[in-house]
Amino acid sequence: MAEVSEPAIAETSRPEEPVSEFDPKSMRKTKPGLKRLILTLSVLLSFLLGFPFLWKSVEIYRAPLPFREIDHFSAQLDSAPLLFPCHFQAILIGFNSKPSISSDDLQFAISDLTSQTPQCGACSASYTVSVSVDSDAICAVDFDSDDEAVDELLESTLGGPAGERKVYSVVVVNRDEDVRAVVGKYRHAWISGRVSEAAALSRAAEIFVKVFVNGGKEEGLIHGEFMPVGADGRIVLSFNLLNANPNDGVYDWEFQKIEETVLAPVIEALRPVANISVESQVLYHTPKFSFSYWDHKWSSYIFNTKDLPFFVNSNEWHLDTSVAAGGRSKILHFVVYVPSADEWPLLLQLPNGEVSKTNGFISPMWGGVIVWNPEDPGDTPDSKQPVRHKISYQDLQKVFEVSMGQLRQLFGLKSDNLFVGSSGTSRLLASDRGFTLWELDVLSRQHTCFNLHSCATTLGSLSRLVQSLPRMIIMDEIGKQVHYSLEVAKLAQVNASLGVYDASAVASRQARSLAEDAFYHPSIMSVSYYSFEHCFAVYSPFFLPVSMHVLLAALREWRRHKQENKKYLAWKTKINKAS
Amino acid sequence: MLFKIRTLFDSMAVTPLYLYLFLFLGPSNFSNSPFAHGFPSSSSDTTMHTNNWAVLVCTSRFWFNYRHMANTLSLYRTVKRLGIPDERIILMLADDMACNARNKYPAQVFNNENHKLNLYGDNVEVDYRGYEVTVENFLRVLTGRHETAVPRSKRLLSDEGSHILLYMTGHGGDEFLKFQDSEELQSHDLADAVKQMKEKRRFKELLIMVDTCQAATLFSQLQSPGVLAIGSSMKGENSYSHHLDSDVGVSVVDRFTFYTLAFFERLNMYDNASLSSLFNSYNPSTLMSTAYYRTDLYQRRLEEVPVTNFFGSVMETIHTDAAYRAPSRKTSGRADIKTSPDKMVTDDQIKTTTNSNVLDQSSDQKQAKEHMMQDQACPFARLMSSFKNKVQTVEEADSLVNYGLVTMIPLLLLSTLL
Repeated sequence: MAEVSEPAIAETSRPEEPVSEFDPKSMRKTKPGLKRLILTLSVLLSFLLGFPFLWKSVEIYRAPLPFREIDHFSAQLDSAPLLFPCHFQAILIGFNSKPSISSDDLQFAISDLTSQTPQCGACSASYTVSVSVDSDAICAVDFDSDDEAVDELLESTLGGPAGERKVYSVVVVNRDEDVRAVVGKYRHAWISGRVSEAAALSRAAEIFVKVFVNGGKEEGLIHGEFMPVGADGRIVLSFNLLNANPNDGVYDWEFQKIEETVLAPVIEALRPVANISVESQVLYHTPKFSFSYWDHKWSSYIFNTKDLPFFVNSNEWHLDTSVAAGGRSKILHFVVYVPSADEWPLLLQLPNGEVSKTNGFISPMWGGVIVWNPEDPGDTPDSKQPVRHKISYQDLQKVFEVSMGQLRQLFGLKSDNLFVGSSGTSRLLASDRGFTLWELDVLSRQHTCFNLHSCATTLGSLSRLVQSLPRMIIMDEIGKQVHYSLEVAKLAQVNASLGVYDASAVASRQARSLAEDAFYHPSIMSVSYYSFEHCFAVYSPFFLPVSMHVLLAALREWRRHKQENKKYLAWKTKINKAS
Repeated sequence: MLFKIRTLFDSMAVTPLYLYLFLFLGPSNFSNSPFAHGFPSSSSDTTMHTNNWAVLVCTSRFWFNYRHMANTLSLYRTVKRLGIPDERIILMLADDMACNARNKYPAQVFNNENHKLNLYGDNVEVDYRGYEVTVENFLRVLTGRHETAVPRSKRLLSDEGSHILLYMTGHGGDEFLKFQDSEELQSHDLADAVKQMKEKRRFKELLIMVDTCQAATLFSQLQSPGVLAIGSSMKGENSYSHHLDSDVGVSVVDRFTFYTLAFFERLNMYDNASLSSLFNSYNPSTLMSTAYYRTDLYQRRLEEVPVTNFFGSVMETIHTDAAYRAPSRKTSGRADIKTSPDKMVTDDQIKTTTNSNVLDQSSDQKQAKEHMMQDQACPFARLMSSFKNKVQTVEEADSLVNYGLVTMIPLLLLSTLL
């Protein structure tokens, strides 16, 4: 109840009657009580005490993300491309005792061939070069024997134990024969023949730069369509045997045997680059989509390269039936197509008129198709049951050799064994693991590069997204994944600077997969979030009216108390003056 | 005084949404610079076009929206006919027309009153049906943020070489699209999702076709490069249905989709009609609305882009020149399974063999087990393994079981007597 206080009336001083001067409107005899004030103040205090609890309860949980580190990481990768230390070694044999070239000349020749701006994954500017002459161990190698044996012998002398730094070597042997260059399965190559020192130097430099560093491809741009590794670092190789018309004969294969002999070493070799698993199936009644025509010259049915984009009949070839592949793995399909008897034999004709030796083609990021023609087509059987055949092991091996070539193509390498350079053609030896050691180095470097860039972009997008939506909940898991991703990426960079290619590839793959997990976390949905208007609209009807009343009451009580106090003090002074 | 503060508050609270949008778009445009050293990641010109995807969304349900489902199914059929396989089509339908109680032709959906074509006839694979067609699921499909248990067939597994066709039909309005009568998809949400797709490089080029009222407003907020969008009507215009099928009782197709299908029925997989001919085939007088398309975010010229770039499936192919022959491989290799017995045991644990070597393997396995038995010092284990061996060697399992049952009966009698 509000008490209207009137302005204090100036008291008329009538010293003879102090009691009659008592003006109830401006004075009071007793001290004002504190009960009402304490009551209202305690209610206000409880509101004030409860407010931080309310605030905490409607707070949006956001796990702290290291935005600055993410920006720093992206900036670091942008400014300085990831380069690896490389070591080159040239050994000259059979020249006269005083060679006129030194390591500086070789360094000059190499830097001549490398471009000014190094691409990501290339060698850093501080590569080491050494030139040595007539080492005894190498002289003992007999260069007359066949290439495989020479390769093995060179490996036993040049190759150090695993864990030592990787040195790429070129051995130049001055002999009396035609010049030929061979690149081995490990990390060395040799040039033998009548070659002058200067020519040897330039050829060696070319092999170093174009073959060992760039992998036999054009320098540079890492094309995303030749990086078939899924976002979680896995690839599923799906091998499918397609019988176009099983009425003519059902073909089956012994996949397990060929998997152990051919595929297992390749999977093992590619382990740093990707985690590969293999599946296989046999399908029936799977005709192709394109048409072929009979050609008398080749006495077979011909389809040409213009039909290739229409070959895969996606409606009837149910290839993507893998249950084991996770949502972010990459599936590569390898199809072995057995044509029907009325289209036998089916051959692929190239634009130059020749018939393809392999009868196969790839589609980047999808897989490859090989057309296999059986020995003779089935005759129309009298019995109702189609005749069952099993593809012989030798035929299957040949088919899988083509598959290996296709796998290499899908990774961006070439499937044949020649390198044509400006100073001549070199022969590349083939490895039974599908990839030679130096090719694996190239793949590791490029995949490290690609993965780290992808990781940086993903983390950057995530940090921008999170910062632009300040009321989006960020769970702990995302924070942890981002942290681990940055740590592993740093580890990958450290390994790269040390020159440990496969460890850096594995770490970069892990970093990329963690960054993708964080970005694709299902709780990040940028649909309009728990917005501030929503919060305000929910809580204000509860608290605003009540708090307004509480505040007003406290204020009023405080004012009243002060007035009553003033009145009491006025009375007190009057008494004192009178007495 | 308190009221004044409150109104200020309100006006402040309304603007954050737009603030967020600008904040989001602003800094990201500047910081997404291409890597300076030749890494071609951000420019879509250098990646190869490797595959095509189609996301077809029908956002209506209930019988009177028959034409929307017919629209979507017609486009599904067209896209499949031109070559995109089911595994690269995400079809979102409410799917309540074909088996609706009001459907006079059960399990049949037509898009023309001549009933020549049954759209629901063969092999329709709907990925999101019924109540799964929600704004959240749609945005999850676009951005790729699914729960881990979602199967691959329900995910948009595109990569940086993919061209995606996004077709949406239903009821829409100014800057929104209505989803199943309960939710709305706002144009800024769609723009946001496309932006995130572009940042994660989930597409090379994106074609958005929208067949709703005021369709062009739905893609008005788009900013990402590489996106081409066409809508059936502009702001303030309605999109109309084509004709009413008096037999079925509802309108069966919309005008925009009808003329789109008329264009595609003349094509097959090998044709290379261009997108500009498709866009020019829309006549505002027959459509009764203006089909508006925006090309400001799209770099290529429409005359050069064949429609099969989005509606068909043309694979990039490279011929394999040679087989990769390693000369050191022997033909026998590890095909010999008769290796040492301890290796046999581990191999058997891993593989399940189906060829004729099973018998050899089981005998080797037994030998290995006997070796193991003798090595074991513990008598109990020895007893158990010998028992297990004996049990495994028993040929007539049925007779053993019968003997066991027969011996159990006297035991039973004994126990009841006691």
